[in-house]
Amino acid sequence: MTWEIIKMAFESLMAKKTRTFLSMLGVIIGVATVIAVFAVGQGAQNSVNAQFQNLSVNSIIIMPNRGRGFTSSSRLATADAQVILNKSENIVSATGAIQGQASVSYGSVDKNYSVVGVDQNYFMISNLRLASGRAITEADIKDKAMVAVIGSTAVSDLYESGSDPLNTMITVAGKKLAVIGVLQPVGSRIGPLSIDSAVIVPSTTAEKSLLGTRGEVMITAQVDDVANTSAATTSITSALRTEHKLSLSQADDFRILDAGSMVAAAQESANTLTALLTAIAAITLLVSGIGIMNVMFVIVSERTKEIGIAKAIGGKQADILSQFLLESIILSVIGGLVGMLIGQVAIPVISYFNWIAVGSSATGPILGFSFSVLVGVFFGFYPAYKASRLDPVDALRSE
Amino acid sequence: MVSQEHRKNVIAIKLEDARKSYYLSNDEEIPVLNGVDLSIRSGEFVAIMGESGGGKTTLLNIIGCLHPLTAGQYFLDGEDIGAVQDDFTLAFIRNKKMGFVFQQFNLFMRFSALKNVALPALYAGVPTTVREEKAKALLESVGLGDRLLHRPTELSGGQQQRVAICRALINDPEIILADEPTGALDSKSGLEVMEIFTKFKQQGRTVVMVTHTAEVAKYADRIIYLRDGRVLDHDYKLHSHY
Repeated sequence: MTWEIIKMAFESLMAKKTRTFLSMLGVIIGVATVIAVFAVGQGAQNSVNAQFQNLSVNSIIIMPNRGRGFTSSSRLATADAQVILNKSENIVSATGAIQGQASVSYGSVDKNYSVVGVDQNYFMISNLRLASGRAITEADIKDKAMVAVIGSTAVSDLYESGSDPLNTMITVAGKKLAVIGVLQPVGSRIGPLSIDSAVIVPSTTAEKSLLGTRGEVMITAQVDDVANTSAATTSITSALRTEHKLSLSQADDFRILDAGSMVAAAQESANTLTALLTAIAAITLLVSGIGIMNVMFVIVSERTKEIGIAKAIGGKQADILSQFLLESIILSVIGGLVGMLIGQVAIPVISYFNWIAVGSSATGPILGFSFSVLVGVFFGFYPAYKASRLDPVDALRSE
Repeated sequence: MVSQEHRKNVIAIKLEDARKSYYLSNDEEIPVLNGVDLSIRSGEFVAIMGESGGGKTTLLNIIGCLHPLTAGQYFLDGEDIGAVQDDFTLAFIRNKKMGFVFQQFNLFMRFSALKNVALPALYAGVPTTVREEKAKALLESVGLGDRLLHRPTELSGGQQQRVAICRALINDPEIILADEPTGALDSKSGLEVMEIFTKFKQQGRTVVMVTHTAEVAKYADRIIYLRDGRVLDHDYKLHSHY
């Protein structure tokens, strides 16, 4: 019985192939859009995550301020990390780093890299993981040891593949340093810094021998709880102003970025993008639904006489309703399947040509397909209901 | 098959003061039936005659449960169904108790003869193989065994009407309702159709047939003559003149 009705619905749709295809087209585009939208949304989400994966939301970054009209150089120093740790509230750890550009060479290769002088806490706070070797220790800092840990991009630039950088000597700003460790790829930036193409050295070594005053200080502090970020920011500001002996008329010679609000802002823009695209997809599906409704009304009016005959020979309202409803569901389900297929094919193509970041998302296909079924039911119901309620005698009289 | 002996003299259809009006969009009432009283016995073959516009088809549609009455009563097998509005019940009656034969055949052009005949059984929930067997047997019985998969457009008028008759019979109804069944046919095909109708009587079915042709009406046991929405004669003789 059910199978027969499905077959009848198929036959009647097949009888008008062009019209059936055109009314499906709306659903196809709608569902493909939904899938593409969710892939793009997921892509945006992924890039936000990648950007901040090394930055916990509890992080606060303090950098020197060289704002407009600010002539004197900032007094921010790696030692300020200790000040922040001791005098600010809600801070559980702080690490200072000094960063600058320097020429780095190994063998015949000579390149410019970021050189970062760090204290022993830096690796932990910045979430850095070693691929091999060891990190910078307190002893290295005390001894102003001539040692370096290098990022993954720097390794592949400087060394031939397969060769082990550990215990080799590289030349940084004219000084020989021993490579004691290699970092795992990070893929993202920490504040203004790309760790993958950086050479990490003890802070004392950087300040004394490598960068000197050219170095730019960056302090990373951890708040005990994200909720206290704002209180901690205020407290760091006053601690540093005191430490730097700034008068009331002087502006801060440092600026504070908190990871929480950076992540939140990026997250929000990713969410806004998704919401916008979802709205477009929803509108596309709505329009496709109206298209289906329109076509269903045409089909119903074409078959008015058949409806009259069906009623005269004992067809119930439910039979007629289900017949037409089924046709609109078939329209939208097939449209949905084709749309899903197109969407799934489009994602690798988009990602191959790198037009926009896309990520795989199960939500897109699931949502797209279930919406297409809903569109079929929702927009098919009214025409089908009208058909089922036709007066049999009036319907029989129509031509 | 309905047992004729068992049901003889039982009133199958009875109308009392049956009224039907149509309403125009300005609420103007157009009365079509103005108090029809009639009763038709089970197994009787009745022809309904009358001038055009006299309410013949409306009367048939009321008997066939396609129209509700505006006022009055309609007893089917002794049960008053004039006021029944429930679609399920009405569809059930149209499906199981009655078979409709139309002047213009009213077949589904998209379907084969077999499918057309089997459709009421589909609505009745009969399994596919059973109803297609039955449809095939019926079509064979009217000489269309070699036309099972033909569509209506590939059949002559007489053949189409025979398909339509098979469709009316598929659920083995007690009552056959026919609206000018030979109206669109040549005289030879019309004759073939009327021969099938005479068999209905032998099978014990009640037949109500609207016609304006004396030639056709003479096959009936009795002729009910309508004029201006009323029964003028319950047993009209073809030689009578009004």
